[in-house]
Amino acid sequence: MNPLRRFLRTPEAVAGVVLLGALIAMALIAPLLFPGDPQAIAGPALLPPFNDWSLPLGTDRLGRDVLAELFHGARTSLAVGLAAAAAALAIGSVVGTLAGFAGGLVDEVLMRITDAFQTVPSFLLALAFVSVVGPSLGVVVAAIALGTWTGPARIARAEVLSIRERDYVASARAIGMHPLEIAFREVLPNALPPVLAMSSVIVAAAILTEAALSFLGLGDPNRVTWGGMIAEGRAVLRTAPFLSIVPGIALVLTVLGVYLTGEGIVETTAVRRGLS
Amino acid sequence: MVSNLTRRYRRGGKTINAVDDVSFTIEPGETLALAGPSGSGKSTIARLVLRLIEPDAGGIEFEGNDFLALGSAALRAQRARLQMVFQDPLAAFNPRATVARVLDDPLRIHGIASRAERPRRVAALLERVGLSADLAPRAIHEISGGQRQRVAIARAIATKPSLIVLDEAVSALDVSVRGQILELLLDLQRQERIAYLFISHDLGVVRAVAHRVILLDAGRIAESGDARDVIDAPQSAIGKALVAAAPRLNRTRSLGRP
Ligand SMILES: Nc1ncnc2c1ncn2[C@@H]1O[C@H](COP(=O)(O)OP(=O)(O)O)[C@@H](O)[C@H]1O
Ligand SMILES: [Mg+2]
Repeated sequence: MNPLRRFLRTPEAVAGVVLLGALIAMALIAPLLFPGDPQAIAGPALLPPFNDWSLPLGTDRLGRDVLAELFHGARTSLAVGLAAAAAALAIGSVVGTLAGFAGGLVDEVLMRITDAFQTVPSFLLALAFVSVVGPSLGVVVAAIALGTWTGPARIARAEVLSIRERDYVASARAIGMHPLEIAFREVLPNALPPVLAMSSVIVAAAILTEAALSFLGLGDPNRVTWGGMIAEGRAVLRTAPFLSIVPGIALVLTVLGVYLTGEGIVETTAVRRGLS
Repeated sequence: MVSNLTRRYRRGGKTINAVDDVSFTIEPGETLALAGPSGSGKSTIARLVLRLIEPDAGGIEFEGNDFLALGSAALRAQRARLQMVFQDPLAAFNPRATVARVLDDPLRIHGIASRAERPRRVAALLERVGLSADLAPRAIHEISGGQRQRVAIARAIATKPSLIVLDEAVSALDVSVRGQILELLLDLQRQERIAYLFISHDLGVVRAVAHRVILLDAGRIAESGDARDVIDAPQSAIGKALVAAAPRLNRTRSLGRP
């Protein structure tokens, strides 16, 4: 059976793909569906949902269109989640490969640095980083990556330790290949699968961290974020709970979608490897 | 030339001498076989000779230079002259590699041919080892074990080495394929005067291809001499045991050795 068909037979994976697909669609069509600034005032303040069909999800305290904010928030969540996870995976694989392949003092130093980063809770690290450098999209991405690269680094290192004893690495040395080329061309690509298997968890965590930072007012102020929307709605939680509930549900569904899709992919590839 | 080579491993507090005071010389165009039971230190000697691991004591002289004194850049350059073929032809290649990439690497690293010229060189190497040049774009895992070992040999001869270490290079192959690969190795040796350090636990094969043989026992040389003399009339205990354990010895065809 081909992997795609097997993947689509798993109900959780299908649910994940549907959720993730919806999120990506939202992010992509946001500027088409809601051209203008989503932070501009669109109608009366605190309009409840389903009252006015030009503003289906109503408006917030300042009269901003909640649906437009939701769509544009999907863009931010997805962009930050993917960028931060990609950065964390890249840094982690490079550090882990260098540590595992070089061994000795290089390994010792790199792993002590990894330990140091891992000791500090990643959210506190991100919080401190953004507080010091100032909130912007790039800084938020860097802050999240800073707290999450250690997991991929450890996994990459463990994998590299086993790969570097293989004959093909000895072959590469025997033909006179430079150690850096061996590390990054022969070893790293073969160490990636278990590292990439973590990516769904990392993307999901990055999306949540971004939301938490925005909730605390440390997101990029020029962008709509779901965390920022929840924080906004908190002031009127009793009278207009939907303002917090709508972005909250979006966040939960997104994280679930990313996670289930990732699990589905890991499951499918694991089965394939098991069969062959 | 290898003198007094020693390599120790520590395992669980005990120190074992994987290779213990081993000395030998290989002449140009000669096949020297290393034979011995499993764990006698054959692969360790192969790795030492290639400087994939460093010895605890002893010296290696290669083409008139102190091989152990070479710095990392000089060592990489010198590696062109000293190549290796491993036992498991699948494990010896990057699982993502194609045949073309495997053969392109040594040509590129040692600046043997320009980028434009390399595909032609790769095709010539494939033909030299009896493979079709059409194999170049194929992935390593797509071709057969015998073809893979031919590619490994093509990679080893790409840089025109004077010595190739063959660590059980035919042991994993079917008997029919094994004969063809041995013929290829002998043919290459006749044409290019390549010396082989031929490692095998199979005395039948050793007798057929090697000029001289060294029998190893627990890291030490138990016996050495002309391959046929040693195998036909072993003096050491380990030699007698190895010969007794190789029942088909006399039926093995002699491969082009005078
Ligand atoms: N990396 C290693 N660490 C510890 N012991 C090793 C290592 N490599 C080889 N040895 C030991 O050295 C001895 C010789 O091994 P090896 O050279 O592989 O023998 P052979 O190739 O003749 O079977 C064995 O006792 C083996 O267990
Ligand atoms: Mg061995």
